[in-house]
Amino acid sequence: MRPVPPALGPLLLGSALAAASHPAIAARLGAGGAQRPLATGRLAALALNHLVLAATGLAIVAVLGIGLGLIATRPRFAAFRAGIDSLAALAQAVPPVVVVALALPVLGFGGPPTLLALVAYGIMPTLRGTVGALDAVTVEARERAQALGLTPAQILASIELPLAAAGLVDTLRTALVLAVSVTAVGALAGASTLGTPIVAGLQNQNIVAMLQGALATASLAFLGDAALLALGARLRRA
Amino acid sequence: MTARLLAGLAAAALLPALLALLPVLHLAPNRLVTGAPVMASDALGAWLWPVVALAALGPALLVAGQGRASAALAGLACLAALALLLLGLGAGAADLIAGKPPATRARLASGAWIGLIMLAGVAALTAGRARLPGAGFTAAAAVAAVLAGLWCSGSLDALSLAVELRIRSDSLGTAFRDHLALTFGALGLAACVTGGLALWRRGRGTVELVVSGVQVVPAVALLGGLVAAISALLAAAPALRGYGISALGSGPALLGIAAYLLLPLWRGQEAARRATDPDTLDAGRALGLTAGQILTTIRLPLGAPLFVGGLRVAVVQALGLATLGALVGAGGLGTLVFDGMAQFAPDLILLGALPIIVLALAAEGTLGSLEAALRRRWPR
Repeated sequence: MRPVPPALGPLLLGSALAAASHPAIAARLGAGGAQRPLATGRLAALALNHLVLAATGLAIVAVLGIGLGLIATRPRFAAFRAGIDSLAALAQAVPPVVVVALALPVLGFGGPPTLLALVAYGIMPTLRGTVGALDAVTVEARERAQALGLTPAQILASIELPLAAAGLVDTLRTALVLAVSVTAVGALAGASTLGTPIVAGLQNQNIVAMLQGALATASLAFLGDAALLALGARLRRA
Repeated sequence: MTARLLAGLAAAALLPALLALLPVLHLAPNRLVTGAPVMASDALGAWLWPVVALAALGPALLVAGQGRASAALAGLACLAALALLLLGLGAGAADLIAGKPPATRARLASGAWIGLIMLAGVAALTAGRARLPGAGFTAAAAVAAVLAGLWCSGSLDALSLAVELRIRSDSLGTAFRDHLALTFGALGLAACVTGGLALWRRGRGTVELVVSGVQVVPAVALLGGLVAAISALLAAAPALRGYGISALGSGPALLGIAAYLLLPLWRGQEAARRATDPDTLDAGRALGLTAGQILTTIRLPLGAPLFVGGLRVAVVQALGLATLGALVGAGGLGTLVFDGMAQFAPDLILLGALPIIVLALAAEGTLGSLEAALRRRWPR
């Protein structure tokens, strides 16, 4: 019997949640309160906006976080490692809602404060995860490559990165889940994302729209997680 | 030697350059608009040069100097610069709003914020370099003492944050208490559930899967979903309303926050349980230790730092998530933040956000050093 691929669970759960956020089904689930479901087109537009915003944030976080992680693991920067760890802990202590709120007077409403919160909140976990993944590469593997006469750049490209690839994908999974979550919070700053029907629904008691937003947001997170799990499984096999 | 001197010079130039380039205050006709920027040279008046000198001296001594004495001196210079900067800003703000309509606000601007944070950060670094006992706490206590002293002397009263605080001191107190109640209520709930789940030996895999699955669901979505679920439940069984269950309020907030705390607490207790290997336990039994003695002399010392590590993550997360509780009407400091966002009033946002950040940093610092102390007490 072939083993069940790890991405199957989140994939099925994500698809089920997406189906449940369809107006016809959500209206059935959420009885009580006002019944003004969002049309499919509006929901899809919000989901697309959510996806674009989260993907932009994730791309910035991945480039900066992994880039800084690569720099921090080079031997000459070893002195900064303890500093990075405590900085990461401090950055995690400031909740994303607070970052969005503090950025609001400076950057105005909508996408920019959300994007800032995405980057501010995502970068330190990604950096720490990258450092962890590269640290997991054994000293023997590095020394063997050195003995073969590879340059540091070659060691990075052909030994360290391939060996750390699975760990890096796990780091990106955490960053993706954070990105989807923070983008939903961005609705509070007026960004039009899947958080918008939740926030608006809470204010005017539109339970069905709220449920649709919640289901669709969760579905997006699970589907993204499934995609990265599948990528990670491929890399492990390769 | 030259490199050290150059680095010291660069460190010395950093804060004065910042104060020269960025505005330190915003003078606004009311609490809702940003207002006109005021530069340090206009705002600080006679305080400018002492502040600049001390703000150059502190970082320069930290970078270029060696040994505990110069670090201690750098720390004192930073604290003095911090105090004088705040004093100057307070005096400058009082001068700026004197004779203006009562709605006029003098608000701290980017230069002042960055300067204050950097001075406090450098003070913390110097405390570490001077190897003071409990370096972080000493620095935090010193900064807090400076702030408290200035606050009590009334020299900060003209700054807009102080004005906002005076107006809202009652609601801030209530929000603070609600925030702590939400945090520790959810923590207690999550701890009880984790304890119960830990007893279910056979279901470990399922628990791990469910508990980490919850983390994927965005917090706003979980809270919204919980409110929808509870109101559907109430619509199906209206009799439940008689028991005080309602779709909005602290109920869904406590459930939602507790759901996210399960993962750190669960991982913490699992790691603590696995910290003792069977051989050690066998050796303990062979020595004739009772179960209680094994718990206190082997299991607790080996597991305690790992469990405290999980607890630290959980407390910090709970303090942040409690902010979102205001969305579903559970109160807490989030109320001030969201009110401020709705009114676009920066002072009100800060009034809610600063206590959250301070609480989270304090929890991180306290439990982090407890974890480190436990590790030192019982090295593995």
